[in-house]
Amino acid sequence: MAEKEATVYIVDMGRSMGERHHGRPMTDLEWAMQYVWDRITATVATGRKTATVGVVGLRTDETINDLEEENFSNISILFGLGQVLMPDIRKLREIIKPSNTNRGDAISSIVIAMQMIIEYTKKNKYKRKIILVTNGTGVMSDDNIEGIIEKMKEVNIELVVIGADFDDAEYGVKEEDKDSRKAENETLLRSLTEDCEGVYGTLEQAVSELDIPRIKVTKSMPSFKGNLTLGNPEEYDTAMTIPVERYFRTYVAKPISASSFVPRSGTEPGSQAPVKGNAEGDALASVRTSRTYQITDESAPGGKIDVERDDLAKGYEYGRTAVPIEQTDENVANLQTFAGMGLIGFVQKDQYDRYMHMSNTNIIIPQRANDNASLALSSLIHALYELESYAVARLVTKESKPPMLVLLAPSVEADYECLIEVQLPFAEDVRSYRFPPLDKIITVSGKVVTEHRNLPSVALKDAMSNYVDSMDFITTNDEGQPTDDLPIDESFSPLLHRIESAVRYRAVHPNDPVLDPSERLTEFAHPSEDMVKNSKSHLEKLMSVADVKKVPPKTKGRKRQRETEKPLSGLDVDALLSLEPKRTKISTENAIPEFKQTLSRAENIDAIHDAVQQMAKIIETQITHSLGHSNYDRVIEGLGTMREELVDYEEPAVYNDFVRQLKGKMLREELGGIRRELWWFVRKGKLGLIGKSEVDSSAVEEEEAQEFLAPN
Amino acid sequence: MVEDSYTREEENYEDEELGETSFKSVKDAVLFAIDISSSMLTPRPSPDPKKHGDESPASAALKCAYHLMQQRIISNPHDMIGVLLYGTQSSKFYDENEDDRGDLSYPHCYLYTDLDVPSAQEVKQLRSLASPADADDDVRQVLEPSKEPVSMANMLFCANQIFTSKAPNFSSRRLFVVTDNDNPHADNKGMRSAATVRARDLYDLGVNIELFPISQPDHEFDTSKFYDDIIYKTSPSDGEAPHQLEIRPRRSLFSNVPLEIGPNFKISVNGYLLLKKQEPARSCFVWQGGETAQIAKGVTTLMSDDTGQEIEKSDIRKAYKFGGEQVSFTIEEQQALRSFGDPVIRIIGFKPLSALPFWANVKHPSFIYPSEEDYIGSTRVFSALHQKLLESEKLALVWFIPRRNASPVLAAMIAGAEKIDENGVQKVPPGVWIIPLPFADDVRQNPESTVHRAGDALNDAMRDVVRQLQLPKAVYDPSKYPNPSLQWHYRILQAIALDEDFPESPDDKTVPKYRQVHKRAGDYILKWAEELKLQASETFGGSVAATSTLVKRGAKTEAAGEHPSKRVKVEDSVSGVEDEVKKCYAKGTVSKLTVAVLKEFLHAHGRATAGKKADLVDRVEQYFEQKF
Repeated sequence: MAEKEATVYIVDMGRSMGERHHGRPMTDLEWAMQYVWDRITATVATGRKTATVGVVGLRTDETINDLEEENFSNISILFGLGQVLMPDIRKLREIIKPSNTNRGDAISSIVIAMQMIIEYTKKNKYKRKIILVTNGTGVMSDDNIEGIIEKMKEVNIELVVIGADFDDAEYGVKEEDKDSRKAENETLLRSLTEDCEGVYGTLEQAVSELDIPRIKVTKSMPSFKGNLTLGNPEEYDTAMTIPVERYFRTYVAKPISASSFVPRSGTEPGSQAPVKGNAEGDALASVRTSRTYQITDESAPGGKIDVERDDLAKGYEYGRTAVPIEQTDENVANLQTFAGMGLIGFVQKDQYDRYMHMSNTNIIIPQRANDNASLALSSLIHALYELESYAVARLVTKESKPPMLVLLAPSVEADYECLIEVQLPFAEDVRSYRFPPLDKIITVSGKVVTEHRNLPSVALKDAMSNYVDSMDFITTNDEGQPTDDLPIDESFSPLLHRIESAVRYRAVHPNDPVLDPSERLTEFAHPSEDMVKNSKSHLEKLMSVADVKKVPPKTKGRKRQRETEKPLSGLDVDALLSLEPKRTKISTENAIPEFKQTLSRAENIDAIHDAVQQMAKIIETQITHSLGHSNYDRVIEGLGTMREELVDYEEPAVYNDFVRQLKGKMLREELGGIRRELWWFVRKGKLGLIGKSEVDSSAVEEEEAQEFLAPN
Repeated sequence: MVEDSYTREEENYEDEELGETSFKSVKDAVLFAIDISSSMLTPRPSPDPKKHGDESPASAALKCAYHLMQQRIISNPHDMIGVLLYGTQSSKFYDENEDDRGDLSYPHCYLYTDLDVPSAQEVKQLRSLASPADADDDVRQVLEPSKEPVSMANMLFCANQIFTSKAPNFSSRRLFVVTDNDNPHADNKGMRSAATVRARDLYDLGVNIELFPISQPDHEFDTSKFYDDIIYKTSPSDGEAPHQLEIRPRRSLFSNVPLEIGPNFKISVNGYLLLKKQEPARSCFVWQGGETAQIAKGVTTLMSDDTGQEIEKSDIRKAYKFGGEQVSFTIEEQQALRSFGDPVIRIIGFKPLSALPFWANVKHPSFIYPSEEDYIGSTRVFSALHQKLLESEKLALVWFIPRRNASPVLAAMIAGAEKIDENGVQKVPPGVWIIPLPFADDVRQNPESTVHRAGDALNDAMRDVVRQLQLPKAVYDPSKYPNPSLQWHYRILQAIALDEDFPESPDDKTVPKYRQVHKRAGDYILKWAEELKLQASETFGGSVAATSTLVKRGAKTEAAGEHPSKRVKVEDSVSGVEDEVKKCYAKGTVSKLTVAVLKEFLHAHGRATAGKKADLVDRVEQYFEQKF
């Protein structure tokens, strides 16, 4: 469990906060609230009841607090400590506006915030924090400041003061022509925070750092506790056993997941505008799922009947055979295993290919508080390290779990030692596709060619080498020294943080459009400008030597490759085909090849029309005679082939006419009954009208093509 | 505890590999066409000296088909496979009957296994044909060669019809022709040209013919005599004997994604998954009310919680829980949030290979290979980059978006050299691997751990142990380790489906070779254990006294050592527990032991420790029963 938190935000709402300074487009208050909302919504996003927040307004028109003294006027408790929920955010958004006064003492507001925290947290364990955001222009009194500091330390409250245009030498902000009272106030607040060992900063920095994603620290739990063995201790006296524990080293953090909702039935369906930010709070109803089970039954209408879940047994598919497994021996198909990590053998580090890593990584450390185990594991770690070796082990994390093969590498740091573990592929995990070599070409007859348009020339290799060498990715350590590290610590999951910040932003700004990802998230989307500049000449050279040409989209079609439509021998089969007497009409059983061949022989548009007519007839007959969906795949293949060919031949109109008619006939149920399912397949395969974007000569606009396939 | 084996990645969509065209279903159908001639049926010595016994090419091909069938049931459960024998005396094609001989469409073509997702029965039938020695006469009769020659045109059209009707709209359809006859219609020009026309039909139908030629002892197979007119594309497995044939469809994970080497400098590449964890298919529900058991398909309907009415997918709005309510986005907004641009592999710089830490990994890699489809010249540029990365031992850092709307990752791109095995067959293709890196969000903090650094003598002792136990050639070779639980799972399913006896015990190649460890390293381990004892007592003083008094099971107990905080409650050492439980078992009083002792014991032996006391007692007793 994360620690309980009590954080009070003091927001300066004085009249001067409504002004704009130094050419900023937003008022000081709007600027300050960027920071405050970000922090508050970050807390709300955790959904934790124990992460409590309070909000105090400083220099408000009214006075709402328990300390009824002159000193504490124009300070209002806007939200008492507690969990912040959406309605509270909406309410606070309403209230937090610049007031009509500049009266109200910031130091007093800190006292009120302290009071709130002390009352709320009592003596319990809490992380206590006060965050004051102000432009420092009001009147502040340093009466009894020592008392405040003492109390702050006593109850252990962290004080953070963030000021608009506060001077900060470290960050490099200095306000010119600073008002003397503001300068005094800044000095007072600075010494106060320093005395409380708090944080004092300028708002510019605070806002600029908002887009640095905050990483959620997850406490790791062991995923395995057991014995690392060498040999079998059950059988041999010579077996080695070291009790160890296993924890995640890497684990992909997933973005928060969305749930499915539908607009509540009460909401007017006419109001198509999305319920942005869900201002009414409750306009969405959640979605339930219910599952039914069906089996094929030729005799039933529609070919399917429903069966009860209770009549079904658990089972598996073996090929197309259903294999039921009786409840009594449900585990019969599971391999019996016992937990443990057994070493299989050792491999040389330089013989291992890094791309064999199959999973996230884990660390293996000795069992807690077991000095012997720690000593024993240390010797294994160092032996591997010195021999530049890795260990291969069989790991079963729990009884009955399937075994994994893992690779163990030593990791030795100044004050930490462990094994790093990653899963290795099994035989079945390797798909042995073969690809031709990249540095030579072997011809069909077995001759080796080293000069070819697909092989780089010496000049290209040199140009590539120079370019690669000019594009070193520079990483530096804290001292600015170059390092050999990958920028892992500075890279943040773009999707995770973008969704998270979009949700928080939408909660506060329900009517704004979604924002682009912050620069920080896309920092690594492109090479840095410096690098591009440095390598420019090498890249230009490389490009000119490489002479890469983009294939124009037009000729991308299959017809471009006509010359390959010959067998390896180069025999002119087309000539043989034209001699075949039978092939004047397209036959049903060999429709697709014959359709293609007829088109390729076609010398005029009439011949194409004729071929399409014949094919259309075949397809319609197939639909009409289809029992249920039995012919649908053939129909889709036929349609798809027609469409593809006619796009290639740039004859969109012929296809469009046909598919329009076909749609009508299908939906009017003229082709052997209800064919809605087939229509759905047509839509899924995107076999609708050929639009202008596909073939220039098409008379069909894109909207019409989309409309044609739209659900109805 | 976290379950991390068999968790199904949400990224299963990676399996839905992209087809060339969108309307086709991404499935593969393989039809074997095996020539059954007397020379194909004559046993001959295997070219592989390691294999004993003579085997006929036909039998080798059938065995190969059988193994492929078994393998695909596991790896590609939705793909089809069939076996067509040609040149047989008898003929069989769907409903056609041998008796009305005159009307046979495809004489001397015998469709032994129809093209389909195989059933258990078909697996069994093919197995019996592949090992005819154990088969009955009916089966052997099938393999009777015909006296008159078979028309190749007819065989090819027969295959055409099988593909047309059984595998319509498949994105991949392949006909594997296994034969030792390189010139079937040497003296009949008409038959020959009919065959080339039928081969062209198959090409136009989108069926790839792959030839597995078998040279005869005194005659090298010459493709130029006939098959160069039949085959349109060279397949990578050309020229290999059928028992080595490599038969997987080459499907791409993504195709023609631009590899952006620098601003405005792109080439096109295809991506493949060469390494992917193979999982057993999910369990399903089986209905046994009919004649044959059948899988019940689950249908999910969505309903509004509010009205209970069924709703359309398009009505659904996604929303996030926030501050006790839902923060919602329209579908377009939701899509916009997930979009970070078009698919791309963009190089943002280079680093030495050594910069990639062992731990920086989150999943399996992708493999890329150039394609000339979008950019002409891609292959030569890719080759230059590949060679440079290998030579300079560098990696490229890339921004990687594999598919539209896929979440971008930062990845290390490393070159992989081609690897050839001792038979000259490619084991690892040349190409480039993309290894997704963890983001800062994905890196976990190391938990606290006490470090007691071992002294030199102890490290030396361990080094001797490690040196003794290197794997062959000091490399990990995945092909030596089939996944034992996957194999067992399907082995059992097959036994149930065919009503066979269950196998006794699994053939688990991942179990360490204990005897070898004992023989080769046993003495070194004992030495190490001595040294450990010594260093422990030097470092920690008397705290290990309890263990050092034990005699047997030297090494084991040394390291097992202590667990002071908990042990106090239970016993003073693991071996104490060990002995105590053992004694109780001998006396039959295991149930008298405390739950804590039982759990301690079970945990030390890798057994589950969940459940009530009775369960624990059962498990302990089981342990001893299995052992003795």
